[in-house]
Amino acid sequence: MLAHIPDLLQGTLDLLILKSLATAPLHGWAISKRIQQMSSDVLTVNQGSLYPALYRLEDRGWIASKPALSPEGRRIKVYRLTAAGRRQLSHEIDAWRHFARAIDHVVAAT
Amino acid sequence: MAAITRWMRRFLLVVRGRSVEQSMDDELRYHIECEVAERVKAGQPPGAARLAALRDFGGLEYVKEEARDARGTRRVEDVLGDLRNAARVLRRNAGVTTAAVLTFALGIGAAGAIFCVVYGVLLRPLPYKDPGRLVVVWERNIPRNKDRNVVSVANFEAWRDRNQVFDGMAALVPRPVTLVDGDVPERVMGAEVSTSYFRLLGVTPFLGRDFDAADAAADRDAVVLSHGFWMRRFGGDPSVVGRRLQVSGKPYTIAGVMPASFEPPRFGWLVIQDLWFPFAATPENRAWGRFLLVVARLRPETSLENARAEMVVLGQRMASESTVNKGWSVTVVSLAEQITGDVRTALVIVLGAAGLLFVIAVTNVATLMLSLMRRRAQELATRRAIGASDRRLFWQLWTESGLLGACGAAVGFTTLIPGVRVLLSLAPPDVPRLESIRLDAPILVGVAAIACLAIVIFGAVAAAFGRSAAVSFRPITDRDARTTPRVGGATLVATEIAVALALGVMATLMVRSFTSLRAVELGFATDGVVAARVALAGPRSETPASQHAFFETLLERVRALPGVQSAGLISTRPFGGLGPATEASDPRQPEGTATRSAVADVRWVDTALFQTLRIPVLRGRTFDSTEATGTPHVVISESMADALWPRQDALGRRLHLDLYNGIMVEVIGIVRDVYLMDPRTPVRPIAYLSDTRFPSDTRDVVVRVNGDPGATVPSLRSVLAALEPDVPLYQVTTMPDLVDRTVASDRFTTFLLSAFAAVALMLGGVGVFGVISSDVSRRRKEIGIRMALGARTSVVILMVVKQALVRASVGVAAGSALALGAAYSMQSLLFGVAPTDALSFLLVATALLGLATVATLIPAVQALRSSPIASLREG
Repeated sequence: MLAHIPDLLQGTLDLLILKSLATAPLHGWAISKRIQQMSSDVLTVNQGSLYPALYRLEDRGWIASKPALSPEGRRIKVYRLTAAGRRQLSHEIDAWRHFARAIDHVVAAT
Repeated sequence: MAAITRWMRRFLLVVRGRSVEQSMDDELRYHIECEVAERVKAGQPPGAARLAALRDFGGLEYVKEEARDARGTRRVEDVLGDLRNAARVLRRNAGVTTAAVLTFALGIGAAGAIFCVVYGVLLRPLPYKDPGRLVVVWERNIPRNKDRNVVSVANFEAWRDRNQVFDGMAALVPRPVTLVDGDVPERVMGAEVSTSYFRLLGVTPFLGRDFDAADAAADRDAVVLSHGFWMRRFGGDPSVVGRRLQVSGKPYTIAGVMPASFEPPRFGWLVIQDLWFPFAATPENRAWGRFLLVVARLRPETSLENARAEMVVLGQRMASESTVNKGWSVTVVSLAEQITGDVRTALVIVLGAAGLLFVIAVTNVATLMLSLMRRRAQELATRRAIGASDRRLFWQLWTESGLLGACGAAVGFTTLIPGVRVLLSLAPPDVPRLESIRLDAPILVGVAAIACLAIVIFGAVAAAFGRSAAVSFRPITDRDARTTPRVGGATLVATEIAVALALGVMATLMVRSFTSLRAVELGFATDGVVAARVALAGPRSETPASQHAFFETLLERVRALPGVQSAGLISTRPFGGLGPATEASDPRQPEGTATRSAVADVRWVDTALFQTLRIPVLRGRTFDSTEATGTPHVVISESMADALWPRQDALGRRLHLDLYNGIMVEVIGIVRDVYLMDPRTPVRPIAYLSDTRFPSDTRDVVVRVNGDPGATVPSLRSVLAALEPDVPLYQVTTMPDLVDRTVASDRFTTFLLSAFAAVALMLGGVGVFGVISSDVSRRRKEIGIRMALGARTSVVILMVVKQALVRASVGVAAGSALALGAAYSMQSLLFGVAPTDALSFLLVATALLGLATVATLIPAVQALRSSPIASLREG
């Protein structure tokens, strides 16, 4: 079953997008597919929140876009991670690990 | 930093507007295409795949809207939208906009230019090292209450050696010299300075060296040039150091050149300085009495008050040690205050007046905004009705004011440079530090800050009026949103009248003061008189007899010139600066009475001087050619006669003068009092001695001619050149010019205040008229009803005028208080008129009340003339 990422974890979406761009620049649809693929089809990004998130990250200066052409010859935008984005990604990973450990402790508590 | 790049990015996105939208559209469409393609690949039929993809995506427009918000560009878009809108509003109301922009520009230009001058003269730090620690030290004469007296060599040395408060002290004395190494002899102002002087100020030479202690030795001949003099005389030749320079017939060696940025301090009788010689104490100058100016640097740990106290103690000790110092103490003033003290009040008053003018200009802009808002009440109410929040409305009105203010400030800024130039051309020549007046960062920042403050003020006024106009607007029942704006209008009217009154009173007082200054009877006739100074050098200057013979010949030839009525000699012409003064006493007072004495200014004059200057002889006679031997004669002024021999005949009396180590002279004549310094300084006793008896090498030649005195100058020069080619004629002025110059600073202040007051009155009049006529035209309906019901015209007019006058009176009352404060602070500028001068206050108040009445009458009469039916329908 595919799980939608709840709005509550909006920061998590940022983390996923940044992580998906860590290896190579991608366009919007490819980002959503990459997240799906990296999570072994567990996570799928709500398309409706993907683009606002991309624009917000761009506004923050963590990712940058440049116009490109798709294989079909359509004008698209390709996003890449900026240096600031790379720093942010490592922050977010740390924060996530911290958070996940905390949840683990709670769950494992007897 | 990150925030700036972020806003830059947002701004660029907004500017690219359409293409950004387009690329978002492309991107989202492509996303759906990819989704569809994938579903088709997985086996769905194309139609169903597209439907599913669109459904999964959610509302396309909704996503777009979310995405737009996420871009963070909303606020930029709002601001730009407001700006576009504001530009449109301002363009549509071109008349109001132009008036407001020009008014604001006028205010900014005037206040900014004056601020530039005041900053340069009063506020810009002196260009010396740690200028706050530099002070001027004077002797203080306690019995004569003269607290800034020049210093004797002995006292300067005693201070320098015995004080505990100064890091260094330097003495200065002006030294005018003649340079003769060209064709034309040139008279140049220089100064002798202690060898430590330049180091005391903390300035280093641009070329060569400054003085060292060895330069004070009698056989040394170093001279340091000013940058300006070096450029003028040597064309900026860098090889000038070490070259010889003939100064007043003696060779000197150029040791160095000061930098262009060096502003030599000017105070006391120290004016322009083009070259500097080392000052050394000699047996002769020790005997000259008091003549030195003294500059000192406070020790880092010493305050000015401490230095003052300690120097007074030292002065007391010195007064008890020597009879020459009996009755003398010490004054210590900061160098900045010493240099600018004379013009401080005038400049501060002018700056204050410019500030008031600025207030009027801003108030006027506010009244224009008020009328603009009234006109737009309907539009604003509509915007509000269809959902504009108060916040958005507020920001939009702010943007309009801001844009208007920015345009006005921009125009105002362009007038700064010409404005400052005009001020400099008007400025009296004795204003110090004119060279440090320039438009630079502190000025621009200051003016910009003031402009911003003003924009905030009228922006707030506009926003408040606009909002209340929009809120209180009732489209059908009540077309005039009258309550709040009218209260605001009343405040504006009162403010304008108050400030205009203050400026008007300041200007009227100054005009009255200037008029009485010009009306002072100087005691001599200036018209047709030219004066020039001659300092004889060379062999003819060596004996009194040859000096006398030279000037006799010179005068003879001058008198022979066509157009010359008469020509005479005087040691220092009236209005030509300080001359020597002496204690005069009658040694033969009757037994038992105290010796009468007076301090008299001394002037040496020849036989023709009184006739040339038309100084009336009251009793006795003036000098003739038989003064050479016997008891020296003296001619005294009437106030001197009164001081020494009140209600008695002074003729034939003998008088003891402290001059020449004490001489006895006989009074042969009494002449009318003459103002020697300027028309403000009350007349002092004057003793005239005969130039025949006491010749000198330096005299003022005073010539009365038919017609234009200036036209005689070339022939005077050629007469002198024929007689003595190496002697220059200098300080050449006509007497009317000279008298003019002493009131130049009063003229400057009077002119500026009058100009400001005229502009203020005009702006105030326009502003008051605008507000009142818009108020009255709102009452047309009411007036129409009253008329229709049979009210008499006079009653209606009275009603309207009364209301306007009540408002104006509030302004007059507030303005009178303001004006009184201003008048007291300019008291030291006023001559012959009190700061409480009732006439000035009444005159200006009446004028303003009259203005308010006229401003009311015009629209009221118009309202009455139109038929009541028409105004009822219209309303």
